[in-house]
Order: sequence, then C-alpha cells, then structure tokens
Amino acid sequence: MTAVEEMRLLGNAPEAGRKRVTAARWRLGPVAAALMMVGAAEARAEAVLTMHIEEQTSWVQNFNPFDLGGRRQSTMDFVYEPLVIFNDYDSGKPVWRLATGYKFADDLKSITYTLRDGVKWSDGKPLTSADMKFTLEMMLKNPAVDTVGVGETVASVEAPSPTEVKINLKGVDTHFPESLADFPVVPEHIWKDVKDPLAFKNETPVGSGPMTEIRRFTPQVYEQCRNPNYWDAASLKVDCLKLPQISGNDQMLALLPEGAIDWFGSFLPQIDKTYVGLDAEHNGYWQPPAETVAFQMNFKSSNPGNAEAFNDMTFRRAFSLAMDRTAMVDIAGFGYPVVNTLASGLPPRFDSWRNKAAEGAQDEWLAYDIDKANKLLDDAGYKKDGDGFRTTPSGKPIAFPIIVPNGWTDWIDAVQIATEGLRKIGVNASVATPEYEQWQKQILDGSFEAVMNSRADGPTPFRGYFQSLSTGFGGRITSAPSRYSNPELDKVFDEYRRAATDEERKTLFDQVQVIVADNLPVVPVFNGPTWYQFSTKRFTGWVTKDEPVMNPEDHDNNRMRLVHLLRLKPVQ
Amino acid sequence: MRLSRRRLAVYCVAFLFAIVMNFAVPRLMPGSPVDSMIAQLGPRATPAAIEAIKARFGAIEQPIWRQFVDYVVGLAHFDLGVSVKYYPQTVVEVLGRSAGWTAFLVVTAIAFSLSIGVLLGAIAAWRRGGRFDSFVSPFSVVLIAVPPVIIALATLFTFGVTLRLLPVGYAYDPSLDPGLNFTFFGSVFLHAIMPVLTLSPYLIGEFQTTMRSSMISVLGEDYVTMGRAKGLSEAAVMFGYAARNAMLPVLTNLALMLGAVFGGSIVTEIVFNYPGLGLTLYTASVARDYPVIQGQLLLMTIATLGANLLVDIIYGVVDPRIREGRA
Repeated sequence: MTAVEEMRLLGNAPEAGRKRVTAARWRLGPVAAALMMVGAAEARAEAVLTMHIEEQTSWVQNFNPFDLGGRRQSTMDFVYEPLVIFNDYDSGKPVWRLATGYKFADDLKSITYTLRDGVKWSDGKPLTSADMKFTLEMMLKNPAVDTVGVGETVASVEAPSPTEVKINLKGVDTHFPESLADFPVVPEHIWKDVKDPLAFKNETPVGSGPMTEIRRFTPQVYEQCRNPNYWDAASLKVDCLKLPQISGNDQMLALLPEGAIDWFGSFLPQIDKTYVGLDAEHNGYWQPPAETVAFQMNFKSSNPGNAEAFNDMTFRRAFSLAMDRTAMVDIAGFGYPVVNTLASGLPPRFDSWRNKAAEGAQDEWLAYDIDKANKLLDDAGYKKDGDGFRTTPSGKPIAFPIIVPNGWTDWIDAVQIATEGLRKIGVNASVATPEYEQWQKQILDGSFEAVMNSRADGPTPFRGYFQSLSTGFGGRITSAPSRYSNPELDKVFDEYRRAATDEERKTLFDQVQVIVADNLPVVPVFNGPTWYQFSTKRFTGWVTKDEPVMNPEDHDNNRMRLVHLLRLKPVQ
Repeated sequence: MRLSRRRLAVYCVAFLFAIVMNFAVPRLMPGSPVDSMIAQLGPRATPAAIEAIKARFGAIEQPIWRQFVDYVVGLAHFDLGVSVKYYPQTVVEVLGRSAGWTAFLVVTAIAFSLSIGVLLGAIAAWRRGGRFDSFVSPFSVVLIAVPPVIIALATLFTFGVTLRLLPVGYAYDPSLDPGLNFTFFGSVFLHAIMPVLTLSPYLIGEFQTTMRSSMISVLGEDYVTMGRAKGLSEAAVMFGYAARNAMLPVLTNLALMLGAVFGGSIVTEIVFNYPGLGLTLYTASVARDYPVIQGQLLLMTIATLGANLLVDIIYGVVDPRIREGRA
C-alpha cells in the first residue's frame, strides 16, 4: 500500500458489548463478584483489542491470503505468521518468526530456510517444510495467487527435512529473502483440496498466527481470537481483535468521541483537537515520515516536446526548484508530512543508510527558488512563445497534466501548488484527477505525462529504488511510472543483488544515492506520514516516539504490526 | 381492479427500457472492473499476477453483444452474476443483505412523512391565510429545496457528534445478534431515527404542498358545504369529507417521488454508514462493479415500477370513479 492509499484510510469504532459486560458485573454485588473470581482464569475479563485497519462498507468473510483485494486485512500476520520480518526501524534486522534462519549456498543460486521446531497450525497439526514447499509450488503453478512474485525468481523447491526448505533460484539474487516478506505459508492439509485457490474464501482459516479463530462475523463487526496452538503464546496478552466496519473518515471522526477504538491509523485533521483533545490522558499518536513522495515524469512520453524536456536534467532541476515543498506540507498536508531535502530522495526512516557523499551541491536543487529556475531555463534555451509558456530548446511546445487520483484531496492540493510553481517558471502544467483505476492504468500503459507518486519501500531502502528506477521494472508496476533507464544505475542494482555481505550492500547503495542525486530522475517533494493512533485506556505497551523501535502502523503493509501486537498488555 | 392492456404495455416497455439502460449505463463510465481489480492489488502486483487476474475475469472483456446476451440469459434465470468487488459473492447475496434495510428506511420515512405532511397540509388548507398556514406552507417549500446531504450532515453533527444522543452509524448495535427481542428492535429503532429524519423533510414538504392545494380545491365542493350545513364537527368535515377526497393527488405524487426517495437514501446511507442499497451502489460504482450496479439499478427500477403499479391499483380502490372499465 502506498502512503497515499493509507492517507485514505481512517479510523475505528464501537464499544457497547465490553462496556456492558463490565457494568453488569459491578451490579451483581460483592457476593456474586466473589463467586466469579473463584473461577480464576475464566473470570478474567477477556482482553479485546478494537482495531481499525481498512475502510469497507460491509465485511465479507474472506481470509484467503492470496486474494489481495478481497481478503480481510487482518489475514496476514494475525492469521498467517510471516517467516521473518525485517524491521526497517532497526536497519532491516530480521525478527525470526516461523523461520529461525536462512542461508545462501556458496554459489548464491539457492537458499535454505530453517523452520522453527514444534510450530503447530491452529487445528493442532504440525507445521513443517512440506507446507512451505506446497505453498511455494502452488504459487509457481498458479500465477494468480503469486502475491510475492516467486514466479520470476524461483526455479524449484525442495524439502530436505521437516524443518528445512531449499529454494533453487533462477539467478543470483541475495535480495530474495526480502521479497518473501509478504509470503504466507498455508497448511497443505487444508489447501491441497482447494480447487481454485483464488476464489476460496477461507472463512474459517487454519493458520499459524496469534489470532486465527473467527468467533463472530457480521457485516458490521468481526472478532478474531487467540490461536489455541500458537507457538509464541507466552508473548500474547491480547485475547481477541475486534474489527468494527467503518466506511470513511467522516464516520471515524464521528465515532472517536465514544473512545472505543484502541489501535488505528486514520487521517484525522487537526489531530490534537479531534483526537488527543477528547481524552488527553489516554489518546496518543505518532506519525513518523514514511515513503518519499516524488514527481515522476514519463521519459517515454509520446509527446515530443514533453519527452525532450523530461529527458533534460536541466529541466528536471528547474522543475524541482519550482516546488514549494513547505506549502505542500503545511497547506496540503495539514503539516503532517515532512519536507524531503535530499536529492537522492532517501526517506528519513533509512537514515542509517545515508551517504553524505550524495549530499551537498545537488541538494540545492531542492530549494524553492523561482528566479533561479527561470534563469536556468533561460540559459538552457527554453524560450517563451506567444502565450507566455516555454518551448523546448528545439522549439517544441511543452504542456502536460500531472495526474493524481480523484478524491485524494491532500495530494490534489499538493499538485495544485506544484503547477502554480511550474506556471511561474513558464511551464504549462495542469492538474488532472482521473479515478484511481484510470490513474493506475495510465501509469501502467505509459499514456500519462507526469504523476505525483510514492514508491513501495521494503525493509531496506533498496527495493524502493530498485523497483522505481531500474530499466527492468519501468512501467510494470505503479511505483515505476517514469520508465527511467540508466545503465550505470542498472549495473549497481545488479551488483547489489549479487552482494553477499551487508558491507558490500552498504557500499553499493552509497553509489545508488550518488547516481540518483546527480541525475535527479524523479523530483522528491515530501515524506508522507505513517498513520498511527492509539489509546492507553485498555492496553499499554504502545510504540511511541520516545521508543521508536518499529513501524507502528496496524495496516496490512506493515508486517511489524505482529510484533507490536505482542507488546500490548491489557490494563489491569 | 383489472388494469387496461394499454397500461400494462406501458409497464412492459418501461421495464425493457430499464433492462437495456442498466446494461449500458455502467459501461459508459470510464474504467473497467478488471482495472479496478488490478488497482486493488496495489503497487506490488507483478505482471504475471495481473495477467492471471485478467484471464480469470476474461468474461468482462468479451465483446459487448456477447455480454448483453449473457446478461439477458442470466436475468431470465434470476442470475445476476458474481460481484467483482465482493468476489466470490454473488450479486443476489450482496443485494439481499442490503435491500431489506433500504426498504425499511424508505417505507418508514414515507409512512412518517405521509402522516405528518398530510396533516399539516389539511390544517393549512382548512385555515388558509391564517398564521399556521403562512408559516407552514412557505416552510414546506424550503424543506423541498434543501438537499438531503445537508440535512444528513447537520443532523449527524448535532445529534450524533456534538450531543451524542444518537448512534452515528450502522443499522443496529454491531455487538448485538439479530433476534426477535426488545433489545434488538430497540437498537434498530434508535439507529433508524437519524436516517429517517434525514429522508423525511423533503417528503413532508412535498406531501404538505400537494395536500394543501388539493384540499383547497376540495373544500369548494358541495359535499363539504353540505357536511358543514349538517352541523358536523369541524374535525369530522375536515377529515371525513375533505381530506379523504383530497388524498388522491398525494398518492400520485408519492409514486412519482419514489425515485427521489431512493436517491435521497443513497446520500443518507453513505453519511450514516447504513448498510442499505445506497451504500452498496456507491461502493459498487467506485469499484466499477458492473454486475452489482446492474442488479442494483434493476432492483430500483422494479421497485419504482412496482410502486407505480401499486398506486394505480390503490387508486382504483380509493376512487371508484376511475376504476377500469367504468371510465
């Protein structure tokens, strides 16, 4: 999920059931209460965590991890435990879950995962290497369920022992484990009988994660409870997740005063007033900067004037100088995003990867300086014609819309600010707001001219750069719209994927930053916020800005939400 | 009460027209269900996965005539297809769970507004020119003009968010299980108050205006004068003689307004997160879920045509003069 999509997400909901239970107990009087306490564990109130993860108008019981669009977004991590989670707030260090380690063969052509011993599925059957082999082979056989792209990297799978899985790769790719970050292992004994694994709704899932039991499911709310056979049960203090259906931001704002939601990630305007102000003692938030949002130009544009301009670094630098980034953050983003000041576009969360050699002179192009931009274009031969707009040095007109999905108001405002700046330097840019589906289609088929977009970062900064700027990915996924091609950069990417050690990778990524900063293939503007709000009324242990140990979001794009869940403890 | 053949033919033509429009309109919107399906996959979807999804929903990319034939054949079997957004649920399942709620809202709002509007209209006509009339009647015109979205947001903000008197969403408390008990019905009632109040002002305004003008013309009739001359009480003349006869145009108006009521329920349901057809239609439109949109529009057309038919029949019952065959 891009930062943008997350912006559209909103908050959480109701209450009643729990509150009423507590109230009833108090009314029973001391004798009855004492009797209840005798029941020890049974009498302990269930720790129900109310979350809001996705906006829907009605819940559909679908826990099929391969149905990316249809699955309930509490399916990954909570029903299907990941093999390993790379914590991007901790230099991408692995947090071992179903796997306890992996090892590349000496020729880097294969990788062997070691699975945790004694892990059981929620129905009590053992989880073994056969399950993982089965899942991978199902993906290879059926590209529609290949949610992580193993079809492009994996040649074959072997299971030498119940806890070992050997994956033979099509080529050297030391980056492979990261690509398995979103990989769910499903139980062979259930899925082998499933004829169509994409259409299967998996209504009562058998999983490996902490919350596998669907206790209650209605179109308005569902409850997902403790896995009786969870391997890490000692860490799990939450008994159930409760997910009320909430369809939009307005509704979220209306529900917040009820104070029933514990963990959510919504866009709340004036959050200090609309959320924290409701209950300053318990309500909190932390919205650290996430992916870099950048303007990306179509280097293969079919419009000759635009293509000539976009391919000229001078034009891109002038473009960048015309961006009033502070206004975008303050006016369009309610002050939540953070201005990006690095020409390399490195997101702040990857600060440990920062290469000072890529900074300095290049970053000056990220200032807001209309005069400098005008001079740059004047000197480069971009002359103004009769209507006051510039043409390319060879005399072709430049005119382009910047596309942004309809309804993404904050982004539309940011693009509006960008076009105002561009018009001040004589560039005929405008805003176009197609529907999201159209927006995506134009990016994929290459019919757009320019777009404001974010890329999908992985646990290390490599994936974001590799996917958005390598020749191979150009136009194949939405986070690679620009169709940029730089042989020098491709070579470094290639070496990175063959690198065997972290030091090598660091050195190579240093080079990536220098090349990107020097060439400015995209124009970074700001880093959107991470969406995270919490309440300490019923649970403690929340990740906060004082203890920034992981991405705190509860959205489906953040695997660390599992570790976050395991930190939480009910208030006594 | 038998309807004339001509009248039935009109209904048939309207129905056929609706079938064709239902098919055409969603396809005139930009975008396709496959695009939206792929959009849901997010930025990480690999080309192989996209191809596989396209192949799987290949039916949607068939030539138009083929789609139309499939659509008509499906209709004949009451098979409205499979939802794209809520795949693999069928359209009948998706609509089934929301149709009841919308019917409940619309019928309640109509019954509520009809009683209030007719009463206000009758009184205003009875004392036309009086203080009551000169306040209520212009106010009705205002009510007609205010769009439901404004009323919905204002009620939501006042009663739901600021005063926190009424629930801000859902058809009933989600922690309850539907059942035949007081708690559940109480919850349904509480959750329906704001949506019904949002739908009603327009209806009340319309009913009041229609009733008032119709009543005024009836008041000039001889039988009303005779009722008065007999020395009957004011109430007896007003309701027993005048209002009863003045109701006919109100019923006609009701049939004509059904479309507008459904339209209003879309906005209302979105604002109050009410799980009815309106919310479903909105979600389906955004997701380019053709099968659901088609099924939904068809259902609404049938509802509107059905209501008109019903009014035609009721008309005959209420007013023997226009009963078919005696005209």
